[in-house]
Amino acid sequence: MTTLAAWVCIGAPLAGAGLTPLLARVHPRLRDLGAVAFSAAAAAAALSLLPRLVHPEELPVEQTLAWIERPIRIGFGVLVDPLAIVLANVVAVVGFVIMVYCLGYMRGDPARTRFWMWMNGFIGSMLLLVLASDLLFVFVGWKLVGVCSFGLIGYYYQDQRKYWIGGPPPDPFVKPSEAGLKALVVTGLGDMLMLGGLLLVYVHAGTLNFLELYATAPDWLAAMSATPGLVVVVALLLLAGPLGKSAQFPFHEWLPEAMAGPGPVSALIHAATMVKSGVYLVARLVPLFYYGYWVAGIGEAGWFFQLTAWIGAFTAFLAATQGLVAVELKKVLAYSTVSQIGYMMLGLGVAGLAPGLLAGGYTAGVFHLVSHALFKACLFLCAGTVIQAAQSFYLTDMGGVRSALPLTRGFMLVAALALMGVPPLPGFWSKDAVLLATVDASLPLFGLALATAAITAAYTVRFFALVFHGPAGPHRSEAAHGGEPAGDGEPPGRSADGTPSMRWAAGALALGLVAAGLGGPALERLLHHAFAIAGFHEALLLDGPLRLAAVESPGRGLVPTLSVLVVLAGAAPAWLAYGRGTVAPGAVLERSRTARALHRFFRSRWGIDAALARVFVDGTRRIALHVARKWEAELDEAVHRRWPARLTERMQDLVHHLRADTEVLLYNVSYVLILFGLLLAYMFLGAG
Amino acid sequence: MPVLLQILLTPAAASLAVVLTRRRRPRAAGWIASLALLYATGLAGAVTLDVARGTPILEDYLVLSPDIELQLLADGLSAPTLAVVLLLCTALSFYSVRYIERRVAVLYAAADPAAKGAHYSRFFALLPLFPLGFVGTILSTNLVAVYFFMEVLTVTLFFLMAYYGYRERVRVAMVSLSWGIIGALLFLVAALLVYSQTGSLSTADLPGMAGTPLAAGAVALFIVSLMMKLAVVPFHVWMPSVHAEHPTCIAGLLAVYANLAVYILVRVAVLPLEADVARFGPVLMVLALVTMVYGSLLALAQTDIKRLAACSTISQIAYSVLGLAALTTASVEGGMLFFLSHVMGKTVFFSTAGIVVYVTGVRDMNALGGLASRMPVTAALWIAGCLMLSGFPPFSSFAAEWIMFTGIFERGAAMGPLGLAVAVGGLTAVVLTVAYTFGAARKIFFGPLHPGLRGRDLRDPPWTMTVPLIVVAAVSMALGLYPAPVMALLDTVIGTL
Repeated sequence: MTTLAAWVCIGAPLAGAGLTPLLARVHPRLRDLGAVAFSAAAAAAALSLLPRLVHPEELPVEQTLAWIERPIRIGFGVLVDPLAIVLANVVAVVGFVIMVYCLGYMRGDPARTRFWMWMNGFIGSMLLLVLASDLLFVFVGWKLVGVCSFGLIGYYYQDQRKYWIGGPPPDPFVKPSEAGLKALVVTGLGDMLMLGGLLLVYVHAGTLNFLELYATAPDWLAAMSATPGLVVVVALLLLAGPLGKSAQFPFHEWLPEAMAGPGPVSALIHAATMVKSGVYLVARLVPLFYYGYWVAGIGEAGWFFQLTAWIGAFTAFLAATQGLVAVELKKVLAYSTVSQIGYMMLGLGVAGLAPGLLAGGYTAGVFHLVSHALFKACLFLCAGTVIQAAQSFYLTDMGGVRSALPLTRGFMLVAALALMGVPPLPGFWSKDAVLLATVDASLPLFGLALATAAITAAYTVRFFALVFHGPAGPHRSEAAHGGEPAGDGEPPGRSADGTPSMRWAAGALALGLVAAGLGGPALERLLHHAFAIAGFHEALLLDGPLRLAAVESPGRGLVPTLSVLVVLAGAAPAWLAYGRGTVAPGAVLERSRTARALHRFFRSRWGIDAALARVFVDGTRRIALHVARKWEAELDEAVHRRWPARLTERMQDLVHHLRADTEVLLYNVSYVLILFGLLLAYMFLGAG
Repeated sequence: MPVLLQILLTPAAASLAVVLTRRRRPRAAGWIASLALLYATGLAGAVTLDVARGTPILEDYLVLSPDIELQLLADGLSAPTLAVVLLLCTALSFYSVRYIERRVAVLYAAADPAAKGAHYSRFFALLPLFPLGFVGTILSTNLVAVYFFMEVLTVTLFFLMAYYGYRERVRVAMVSLSWGIIGALLFLVAALLVYSQTGSLSTADLPGMAGTPLAAGAVALFIVSLMMKLAVVPFHVWMPSVHAEHPTCIAGLLAVYANLAVYILVRVAVLPLEADVARFGPVLMVLALVTMVYGSLLALAQTDIKRLAACSTISQIAYSVLGLAALTTASVEGGMLFFLSHVMGKTVFFSTAGIVVYVTGVRDMNALGGLASRMPVTAALWIAGCLMLSGFPPFSSFAAEWIMFTGIFERGAAMGPLGLAVAVGGLTAVVLTVAYTFGAARKIFFGPLHPGLRGRDLRDPPWTMTVPLIVVAAVSMALGLYPAPVMALLDTVIGTL
């Protein structure tokens, strides 16, 4: 039963993707509803797994069929354990709600068949990724997610002016097809490096099945650590994939542009699919490296946690500062996703930084993933509605939509408060869990995380205030978008709050946020219990790690208070500047040179995007042109023209010389013939 | 008639039939050739199933002398190769029916209808000689027979190129002929070396030579000769112009022509003389990596849609070479599957480029753009080609890449830092493939319609050009979704490594 539900989870959306063109032939309405129905089936199947979390003793459940036996052994199957159940529900349920929203949002779009195929393919691939029992099929899902994101980010492939993002000048505009390619290539680099890591694991372990890997970890980790440095290399390679997909430094620059697709696509990428895959995979690897470091005593395994935690904390801070100054609503949310994923990585990283933190840090990371999925999906869906109403991407064009969008404002408020980490919403509980785990592990990391929390509060208040309390915008942005309306125009028969399906979807998420918030501590306990019992595959950890006493730092009782204070410290000035208008941000910028420099620095994304583009994109292009125009052209010229010409000349000279100098050509020819005959004789007789 | 001989002779018979009917029914030529090849493909499929069920098929025919005989062997290695190669020949023959019509109309615009008919039917008299050469090369166990069939391919290519190619087609045909002949001659010399040591020209007797002083020499000659076909740096220089200037409808076959050397290398060197090949392993691995990156960089710099595909071939073949050079069961089997996947992918990719040229008459990618809205099927095929070349699931190149690199990492881990660096470098180079394939997709198909194309009647080509490519993509997908059967077949031969 359990595995059947898992198979349905994977199969239904993928089948939906395949059947959409056929349904479209019958009736467009059937196609739209059918597409949503397939994702509903996945959501129902995922929900049916949820009760299992209460009885983790019966987990994990696995069903694997042989996929290939020779020359390598790989199985195709599903693994249902607490992590898989949590992730499957995030993906399938949030995905389903987003699909419902799409019913309204995409109404009137001419290419909906393609849209539904990509969307269902996206959800199905992601479910394959989180439910597969073998790392190879995780990787299959991983690659498919990449392809689907390419199709959806570049959905408006004709690059009409109204779909350009970025700007206004002097900031460059980015076209949707460009954004899709960027996502594919940047995450693709991480993918291939990660594949290297997976294969190195396979070479040493002889399997990529999760349960077998956990069970045989003592053997293969020992074999791997026999080569100095190899464990570090494997950790680096394995982390490259998650850093790419989850948009963490230095692979984070694709995500801000990934908003070029339709609004709900961003919701799907940021909340349910794609960027969560990296967090999931890191969570899968945590027990292995934890065992390696704390039980088997392989010092190199500690790198995995140091890297994860520091990259996570740094990325969280980095992206939050950029969110502070972004001018597009969806871009603020995109930076916020990068930043929040950083928190998740931080949680998972600190799980291995101190003894006894495994369950705590792990739960914190995954819990934050769940709450982020809820509030970020809600934020992006509301953003979609706002953008359709304001007909612009820019925050400055949105002011005054408050009266037109009463419901959306309410939903967005709940989600924004959750993002800030205001109690009792789930963002508070999960961020608190991350902070608590961090304070036990490392104070510098804790400081960084706390500072990020303040900035998060500030940018959240800023964008919310600009959208709903700012000066009324023109509702169009002629200057930036050439007079064409942004979004998809206004289909008839909907209020500004969107169609019923749009309101329903956003409302359901807001409601879910309130519920998850009220039950936050209970939810955390449930997850903690489930992970502690069935998350780390006892066989592996029997002798110790779970029994290691946690070293609790003395100040941990203060953490919740501290986190609330920090939120207030970030929110208050932002409200004064953008909500009340007491302080004019423009005036501050004019007065202070430091503020101006910082503003420019943050707006230019710390210069990272430009630097990476210069080195990797322009650099590669320049080398390629050099290779093609200099080396290859020169070689072609030499081999195919110059050398043959010279050879013919020489031959002519030779013949001429022979004839002119000796006048007896026949003799010379016979010398050549005799030489040739000797050669043949040597080959056949002499050598044999 | 015995089945393998039938497969070998069917293309020859088709060619003859086209010649005989050329005056009365020149227009039927395309269909005669295509249907005959379809029949041969069916036979090859049946042979593959037979081999999978039981034992290899061996047929013996005395031709010249007991030493130079025509011995045809269908085993786990040759049967699937044969089936895939013939499938591609068939698909491209159907594709050519309309393509060559347009090509003749453009090239020989001044000719009268009868002459045009002659040009048209001549193409289909020549085309089946490709499958003839392929079948012979794949099935023959005699080194001289292999040499002979390799030369059949080279000469056929010369004529097809000289008659139906693009810019400077006669000169480029000469270039490819020269390279082909030099490469094949080196192969012949190696074969004679083998004969001098073993007294036999049969690949079955090659292991008897292992370890002898001249074995290394013979292996080196085999490798150099086949590297010329494979266009491994520094022997790649013929590939960009030759592959770019031929009629696009045989592009996929040219990819086979070059890549088939992987199969020959497995047959004549890797399997029988493993220990002697191992000496050259590290050098070959490094050369393969260099070639991958070099070919990809070349491809990135191209603006000509056909040269792009040509440079991509340089890079893609090097993957198989890396797999072979790593000399583990997984890497060689994966390398073989990668070869089959690449030629299928390249057929789809290159032929779609051909469709773009066919419909628009434009080769410069900078003068193209926004075609997806007008030619959705073509755009989808191009994306499928991108996915096939870049090793995305569910296509077989993904499975091949995975299996092959498992073996490469196995070797790499044993070799130490250099081996690991080559392995990781090879994987990372795939990103360049993603960049140039999908980057080209963006240039050609996305964005607004290029101003130069406005007002033109742009639409998907006739079904004879798209359906064969869809079939090829579907086969690649089937192999990718469940590679176990073909791997089991390959394993019956390569598993002994």
